[in-house]
Amino acid sequence: MATANITINGRKITTEPGTAVLKIARREGIDIPTLCDHPALTAIGACRICVVEIKGQRNLQTACTFPVADGMEIETESPAVIKARKLVLDLLFSERNHFCPYCEMSGSCELQELGYRYGIDHWAFPTYTKRFPLDATNKYYLMEHNRCVLCGRCIRACDELPANHTLGLGKRGSESMVRADANMPLGESTCISCGTCVQVCPTGALFYKRSAYMGKDSLTDKIKSVCGQCSIGCGMEVVTRGGNVLQIRGDWDAPVNHGLLCKMGRFEPLYDERKRVEEPLLRNKDKLEPISWDNAVQIMAQRIDGVKEKEIGVLVSSCATNEALYLLHKLFCDQLKVSNIGLLNDAAPQIFKKQQSSLAEIAKGDIILVVSTNPAKDQPVASFLVKQALNKGARLIIVDDKENDLTPFAFLSLKTGDINKAIEIAGRASNPIVLYGPAISGNSANAIKQLKKQAQFIIIESGVNTRAAKAFGINGNFSPAGVKLLYILQGEQNLEGKDLLVKVPVSTFKIVQSSYLSELTQGADLVLPAAIWSERTGSLTNTEGFIQNINSAVQPAGQAKSDWEILRILADKLNRGIAFSMDEVSAGLKKLLKGAV
Amino acid sequence: MTKVKVATDWLAGCAGCHMSLLDIDERIVKLSGLVEFTSSPITDLKHPPKEGVTVGILEGAICNTHNIEVAKQMRERCDILIAVGDCATFGGVPAMRNLVGTDAALKRAYLDTETVVDGLIPDSPELGKPLEMVVGVDKVVKVDLFIPGCPPRADAFFYALTELLAGRTPVVLPPELFTYD
Repeated sequence: MATANITINGRKITTEPGTAVLKIARREGIDIPTLCDHPALTAIGACRICVVEIKGQRNLQTACTFPVADGMEIETESPAVIKARKLVLDLLFSERNHFCPYCEMSGSCELQELGYRYGIDHWAFPTYTKRFPLDATNKYYLMEHNRCVLCGRCIRACDELPANHTLGLGKRGSESMVRADANMPLGESTCISCGTCVQVCPTGALFYKRSAYMGKDSLTDKIKSVCGQCSIGCGMEVVTRGGNVLQIRGDWDAPVNHGLLCKMGRFEPLYDERKRVEEPLLRNKDKLEPISWDNAVQIMAQRIDGVKEKEIGVLVSSCATNEALYLLHKLFCDQLKVSNIGLLNDAAPQIFKKQQSSLAEIAKGDIILVVSTNPAKDQPVASFLVKQALNKGARLIIVDDKENDLTPFAFLSLKTGDINKAIEIAGRASNPIVLYGPAISGNSANAIKQLKKQAQFIIIESGVNTRAAKAFGINGNFSPAGVKLLYILQGEQNLEGKDLLVKVPVSTFKIVQSSYLSELTQGADLVLPAAIWSERTGSLTNTEGFIQNINSAVQPAGQAKSDWEILRILADKLNRGIAFSMDEVSAGLKKLLKGAV
Repeated sequence: MTKVKVATDWLAGCAGCHMSLLDIDERIVKLSGLVEFTSSPITDLKHPPKEGVTVGILEGAICNTHNIEVAKQMRERCDILIAVGDCATFGGVPAMRNLVGTDAALKRAYLDTETVVDGLIPDSPELGKPLEMVVGVDKVVKVDLFIPGCPPRADAFFYALTELLAGRTPVVLPPELFTYD
């Protein structure tokens, strides 16, 4: 392999030719300031902050785009470079309103940082006068054009990461504006509120409404965890201050999503307005009254001891952690010999014997077949991966009888009856990818089997932790007939309008482990307060079978406990001690999950 | 040793920068042994002496003709002029009026405010005439040192003054004292 011997600030570096100067400098720990550059995005050399002096080059060159070649001598902080950067900053500060005292991002702003670094202590050019609009039409974030520096990070993020192509640049020169679609308000545009643009904005032009003015970034704590809103398992960073969750950000280092998050993961958990269950509640005639945990567990244990195994029914939400599912399986299946255990979400059928492919394979596809699953609505980050592949030239075929949110991106949209047309096209592709979910029909399942040899198959589970539930043998087979004690692990799942109790005998003692007050808790005899995503610990298995740890970012509300902890206490009370610590649970479940997922 | 003479004044500001200057706390005792505050808005003497001072400190933005007079007088009577605070360096809060224009701002404040009855825009000849544009002090007179911040930290004032007393003119404040908010 060819090598290039270069010097940066007199330091000799051997590297590969063709890589951008900035990338090499970063790798070598040499600091070159940037503004429009972002590690997750294509470099465009727009802002000119990263200019460096390269011997023999006529002008200063942008480090983010200039490729190194053998013999290159680079200076990153020479007087000419500093002068140029100061001029760029003076010009940036002279346009629009970069007035720090009133900006939410003051203290966490890359433009401000650069102003400090290069000693911009007054404005070299006349004071701003033009007023730009503020777009507050999106529910979750604001676009304040007065603070925009037109670096284009948001535009590139929208194009390259969720690949939604909503944002663009309108007009020219000092009139330039970041626009949604053909100059639409954000709230009425094709924006899907994934918030990636907000996460990459270097200034206060894009910022979250919810956390505005709640403290500088340096005052907050950041806890890495994994999103529990769908089966993709995106790595996220929970930003907290004083025990409150301010923001959720995508974790750029996460293996599944590489920083991507969607509306469901980034915003909706912060806007959940359901009322929490904060203490154990026991039915007294027609009212639920608070009781202590000790009493609640005592009553539970007595009730369970008082019925036969055949009279116990269990319903589980796939929102539950691996640990909870493991303990539930151990306690109810292994020890109490209960067989009437149902899952609240449908699981995808096992069509092939071989392991399914990982989500990362989507990027390599040339034809992507989406069969009876709507990832753009239910697992948006999976749809981002599909759209990223489309950016690279792949073509999308949708086979679905229902409305599919990916349809605008598809080159062919078929009803399931016409699936063979899709199979025929995919069969001619060199790397077809098939995505399917639990709703796939038997016919469609048979049809995609024809692609067995050349295609990669990716299951998109509809429940969060369905893979783990399946691995523990918890599936959809629940019958309410003859059930005298029903244990429902609802967790955070919203089951409004599902009427789960409609066929359950009135006399059945109903225990509901739930985070929120709901129709289900209203009908329960005993309610146990469960911790939510930001409060619980444990792990989740994503749709690929990949196990990831979730970490608690804040204290549980009231007396709520993690789902697995509640089951552990119950097992102890029943003298069926399965595990006494998280470590024991982890060891046990890994053994069981191994090979199964 | 003769004391170094310092004069301060304010323009279109909120007095917050002067409060921050006083916030240097007990260090002011040490400082008063070295400098003489000849005049300021918070002393009996309001105008810098005709014979001049070494250091002039101005807070606030230039927003009317009176501000220009005060700034020019201070400039004529001092050797080193320091602009303190975001208003004096950038225009600050008063410069928000640039976004709507002076006429609209006056109308909104004196005529259209919900609680006003028979409003009247003040036009006494004793008052300075509002300018079309609110600007920083450096757009009217030469400024030797900028201390931005809203307000600048007391430590920034103390640092600048002690540096000047030591015979050095700080060009830009060190990073830990340099702030825009």
